[in-house]
Order: sequence, then structure tokens, then C-alpha cells
Amino acid sequence: MAVASLAPDAGEVDQLYIETRELRLQGFLFFLISDCVLFSSFIFAYLYMRNSGQGWPPPGVQRLDVAFAAWNSVVLFGSGATMHYALENFKYGHFMRYMWFLLATIVLGVMFLGGQAYEYNHLIFGEHVTWAGSGIFGASFFTLTGMHGFHVFIGVCYLTVLVLQSAAGVYTRGKYFGITAGTLYWHFVDVIWVVLFSIFYLL
Amino acid sequence: MSVAAVHSGGIADHIHPEPQGFIRRYVFSLDHKIIGIQYLVTGFVFFMLSGLLAETIRTQLLNPNGGFVSPETYNEVYSIHGSAMVWLVVIPLLTGGFGNLVFPVQIGARDVAFPWLNMLSFWIFPVSGLMLFSSFLMGAPTAGWMEYPPVSLQGQAGTSMWAAAIFLVGVSSTMTGLNFLVTILKMRAPGMTFTRMPLFVWGQFATAPLLMIATTALAAALAALFINREFGVPFYDPTKGGSPVMWQHMFWFYSHPAVYIMILPAFGIISEVLPTFARKSIFGYKMIAFSSAAIALLGFMVWAHHMFTSGLAPFLQLPFMILTYIIGVPTGIKIFSWTATLWGGKIHYSTAMLFAIGFVALFTLGGITGIFLAAIPFDLHVHGTYFIVGHIHYVLVGGSMMGIFAGMYYWFPKMSGRLLNETLGKWHFWLFFIGFNGTFIPMHWLGMLGMPREVATYDPQFTFWNRFETFASYLMTFAILIFFVNIIWSIRYGKKAGANPWGARTLEWQVPSPPHYYNFKHVPTVYGLPYDFSQPLPYKGLEEELTDSPPAVAAGAH
Ligand code: HEM
Ligand SMILES: [Cu+2]
Repeated sequence: MAVASLAPDAGEVDQLYIETRELRLQGFLFFLISDCVLFSSFIFAYLYMRNSGQGWPPPGVQRLDVAFAAWNSVVLFGSGATMHYALENFKYGHFMRYMWFLLATIVLGVMFLGGQAYEYNHLIFGEHVTWAGSGIFGASFFTLTGMHGFHVFIGVCYLTVLVLQSAAGVYTRGKYFGITAGTLYWHFVDVIWVVLFSIFYLL
Repeated sequence: MSVAAVHSGGIADHIHPEPQGFIRRYVFSLDHKIIGIQYLVTGFVFFMLSGLLAETIRTQLLNPNGGFVSPETYNEVYSIHGSAMVWLVVIPLLTGGFGNLVFPVQIGARDVAFPWLNMLSFWIFPVSGLMLFSSFLMGAPTAGWMEYPPVSLQGQAGTSMWAAAIFLVGVSSTMTGLNFLVTILKMRAPGMTFTRMPLFVWGQFATAPLLMIATTALAAALAALFINREFGVPFYDPTKGGSPVMWQHMFWFYSHPAVYIMILPAFGIISEVLPTFARKSIFGYKMIAFSSAAIALLGFMVWAHHMFTSGLAPFLQLPFMILTYIIGVPTGIKIFSWTATLWGGKIHYSTAMLFAIGFVALFTLGGITGIFLAAIPFDLHVHGTYFIVGHIHYVLVGGSMMGIFAGMYYWFPKMSGRLLNETLGKWHFWLFFIGFNGTFIPMHWLGMLGMPREVATYDPQFTFWNRFETFASYLMTFAILIFFVNIIWSIRYGKKAGANPWGARTLEWQVPSPPHYYNFKHVPTVYGLPYDFSQPLPYKGLEEELTDSPPAVAAGAH
């Protein structure tokens, strides 16, 4: 990932910064890989239990509402797009546009979480489907989507910190690894959602 | 700016100010060498504790009806013995310990990529160790180190503590793996290509991704166990639709790669010690290096060989059996390469070398019983018997622990500046070697005769060999005590080592013992493999290292 070459005026960054950034980027990608393994393990568990011969959804559980989740997914994917534009605008020096796109990303992320809360509320209190009380369905659905929601939550917090830091002028056109990392993380959380949406709602 | 013309001004030319004060230097140190020593000390403390548990097991088995401890306590004791030896002793000693201590210097780096992360990894480790042992206070787990449900779902509160402790130590491993991998990929000295890296570095290079990826899979399994136990979420609970066999899949998907985490770094140690004391280039450098990578990769595809009796679908049994056979091939390649290294060498039987040769012999036996076990018809008979206990101890004690001892005798002078006493060392080796074989060889036939593992009593017909094993295990413990005495004695009174007491050729031996906190005054350039004893050293830029001159770049220079 040639981050160095994307910086329009690399003049202000020294060799030490360039090399440190390379290490951090590499380390961050490895972190995402191992996080991905964490999700994969639970996804394996879900598919394993799902195929254990009790039928799916198991007796006593309704099929999930695809339409609502689809709209919620659109919200999350939209936030991926705004995050992308935020980073691009920062790179090319459009600071205010960057800030607006960043804020939009946060708003969309919170909307997604709100949607998820609504869905949980409906499942738990409307249909009495719970984490511990609904067999393998509750176990796999709430664990995986909960883990994902938690990742979105962490992402929202991180982006909020980015807003404050950016307002304080922490990032310059040569040194903005924090923004790159946030973008990578946010896209990662998006991609995980594509998988979760497919295996829980579509499959 | 004449300096800038010579130096790029990057990390290799950047020395942090020397840490001041005891706390920053030795407790919350960022220096990979100090952190390595911290790992070694902590790991050996846990080694003593889990060794005590091992002797409790053996003492119980002096008599067919036990009587030393209650059966419940016995279950707790072997469960914690196994868990502690795997996660608090062998893995931390080989990766966090020797890894930190040696490989950054061997690749010509000033430190690992993320020193803060390294410090964090270390400090999580003693905390999780204390958590693990504290589970005795609340009813320790009783289902062995594998903690198969449903038994582990029924265990007392200590089982949850066990899961939390292993989870944490796993987080530490994952971070170590990530750190090492970035370091090896990005921070090698100029000229240090992949095929010029010392074989110890290759061992760490193959291990790091396993730490990073496999351990995360274990984290998921443990988290699910914890959630199942504490919140009743039925992942593994068959009465609510969950699957105990799923735990076995998730556990072994980690734990088979983990057996390679526990052996690949030891392979690396052996590959340094053998050529040094045979005064001969390592035979088949590339074969050894690439077979480590092959083992790491194949290691992810054989986990179900632990589950041949768990109702694995028949169409899966054959592939797992064949893949397990295949993984024996790169392992065999290494053994032949080491033997060929010794062939015609001018062998110097130092203690480190004795342990290395002992490693080759004993590990080979363990590998051979592994191949037996890969054969389903054989495995169906001996699964769950003492034969398995024999196999794992030949590879883990005869292999990993012998490697650790070899590494201690080899690198102790580098970390302390003093040699370990050779006479005590020879006593350590021979008593350990005899005691080890006496303890674990009989387990093979006891297992084939049907003596089950993890049971507090046994059929009286097995009495003789069990007593024999117990007495041999006391001998082994005595040998280990000699080792500890040797360490404590040698720190004060050992012979001064100098920079390179063994005439070894890798980079860590070209700098003082112990090295400066910045490792190199000037990062060297590498021109070839370190193993060719007939050639001059393949490094440039090391002329100043053993003199009193200050480093070429000022500390703290930006
Ligand atoms: C040639 C290489 C090897 C082969 C083919 C092999 C094969 C096997 C097989 C088939 C089992 C399952 C036995 C059963 O439970 O029925 C097993 C168990 C085991 N092996 Fe190996 N093995 C090899 C090397 C190693 C190495 C290098 C280590 C560790 C350093 C190791 C550690 C273990 C452990 C810890 C267990 C079992 C644990 C348990 O059930 O508690 N093995 N091995
Ligand atoms: Cu295995």
C-alpha cells in the first residue's frame, strides 16, 4: 500500500516518519487479519451449528426481517462511501469537506447502531428471541452481530476522536496515519457486515 | 549535513535516549533484550510451579489406588499442569523469551517494530499466569488442558477463570506474533535477504503468523466457552442444541498449529547450535528454512487427527490421515539435514551441543510415534491412553524443553556476560536425559496395554512401570534443580564470556555481551549466510562494535 506516494507534499515528512508509518501500516493490517480470524471462527461456529441437523431457523424462531436489515445495510455502506471521500479530500487538502464527510460517517454509523438496537428490541421483546434462551439461533446471531455492532461502536468513538484531533490540527498533509488507519478499519467493518448480512439474512 | 549523506536518517539511524532508573530499565523496559530476559525468568518460575504439579501427578501414581491426593484434586492438578506447561512455559519461553532476546539482533535491528506493544505483551503474561494458578482457589478445571465440554461446562468457577487466563495469555501471544512478523518483514539490516537470515530467525518467522492467526481462533473458542458457562449461551451445550464436538474443532484448529508454535523456534535454536559446535556449515539451509514455512502452512490442515474417535465424518478421516503423514515429510527433512550437519564435523561436546544432539534423538522418537498416531487404525486403539502422553512428552520435553535448555546454555553468556558452568551442565544433561527416558518410554507400552490417561488410579498390573516412571521423574526433577543452581551460581561466579565464547558467526555474537541497549553502533551490511566457517564473516560495518567509541549516531537525534 503506497501511502507515501499519495501524500501530495511529502516534503515535510522525514525518513524516520516514513519508515515508522510503514511499520504501523503493516502492523495495523496484521491486526485486521487477526480480527478477521476472530470473526471467521464465530462464523464457522454459526455455520457448524446451523448444519447440525435441527433445521434453520430452528423451531420456534421466525425468519429474520430482510427488508429492514437491508435498509440498515445501505446506511452502513453509505458510511463506507463517505469515509472514503473524507480520506480523499484530506489528501488533496480540502479540509472542510473532509470534516463534513467525517461527520457524515459518524452520523451514519450511529444510525446503523440505532437500527440494530431497534432490531434487537423487536427480537427480544417482540418475539422473545434472546441470546441465552433461543438455542443456537440466539447464540450465533446475537454473538456475531453484537461483536460487529461493538466494532462499529469502537469505530464511531475513534472517528469522533479523529474529528477532535483534526480540529486541533494534529494531522497535516504529510502526516495523517491516524486517518488512514481509521479508514481501513471502517472499511473492514463494512466488509464483515457484507458477510454477516449474507449468511444471516440471505442464506 | 555530512551525516545525512551517509545515513538515511530512518529507524536504523535512530537511537532512543538511554533509559534511566531501575524501573524504566528493568521493570517497564522497552528493550527487547530485557523483555526477553523477563519472559525467561517468568517462564522458568511457572516451569517450577507446573513441575511441582507434575511431581504431584507422579507421586499419586506410585500406587495403583493413588492415595496421595484425592481424585478430584488429581484432575485439577493434571489440568493445570498441562495448561501451564503449554501456555505459560513452552510458548512464552520460546517466542517471547528467546525470540525477543535473540532475533532482533540477528537481523541487525535496533529493536522490534513496536517496543511498547512488546512491553504490554510481556506484562499481560505474568498476570494471566497468576489468574490461571488462582483457579485452584475456586475449584480448578478438571477436564485436562483441552477442557472438552460437556465436562468443562460442569466444572466449578475455576474453569471460567481458566478460560479468561488462557484468553489473556493468547492476546499476549497474538501481539507478540504481530510484532515479530512486522519486525522480520520490515527491519532487517541492509543485505539481510530472506535467504540470508539465520535459521533461528526463520523459526520465529514461521511461528509468528501461527501466533497471530491460530491464537485468535483459540480466543474465539475460549470466549464462547466463557459465555456458555457464565451466561448460559448454548454454544457447546448439547441439551440446548449446541455441539461439544464444535469445541474440539475450534480448539484443535488452534492447538495443532500451537504444537508447531512450540517446536519451530526450538528447531531454530538447534539449527544455530549444531553448526556452531560442529564447526561446519549447516547442511541444506534452504531446505530447513522452507520446511519450517511448509510445516507452518500444513499445520493448519491436520487438526482433526485429534478427533478420529469423536465421530468425525468418514469422508474426512482419510484426508486428515494423509495430510498428517505429509506433514511428517518436512519434519523428516530437518532431521536428515541436522544429521548431515554433524556428519564429518569437528564436534565439540559442550553442554549446549549435548542438548542439541539429545533434541535430535528424542524429537525423532516423538515424531515417529506421531506418524503411528496419524494411522487411524492404530490411533483408535491408543487414543486417550498413556501412549499419547508418551508422544507429547517426547516432542514437548525431549523436543521443546531440550531446545530451551540448549538455548539457555548457548545464549546465557550473551545475556549475562558469563558462561554457565560446564560441569554442572553435563550433570544436568545426563541426569535429565536418563530421567526423561525412564519417565516416558514406559508410557508407550503402558498405553498400548490400555492404561488410560488422566485417571487417578490404575490397574495393579501396571504398578511396576508406574513406580519406575515416578522414580525416574524424581531424577529428572533433580537434574532441573542442578540447572537452576547452575544459573544462580554462574550469574555471580561464572567464567567471563567475552563477546563470542563459541566462535559463532551470527550477528549477536559480533557485539559485546550483553549488547548495548541500541544493539549496534552502526547497523551492519550483510553479504551472505552466517554458516560458512571456512570464510571470513559476511558483514561490513562492525569494526567499531567491540571498541569503546560512542555510537555513530547521537542518542535521541532526529
Ligand atoms: C511428525 C510429526 C507429528 C505427527 C504426525 C503427530 C501426530 C499426532 C496425532 C495423530 C495426535 C493425536 C493422537 C490422539 O489424540 O489420538 C497427536 C497428538 C499430540 N501431538 Fe503430535 N504429532 C507430530 C508432532 C508433534 C509435535 C512436534 C508436537 C509438539 C511440539 C506434538 C504435540 C502433540 C500434542 C500436544 C498432542 C496431543 C494432545 C492431547 O491429546 O492432549 N506433536 N500428534
Ligand atoms: Cu496435532
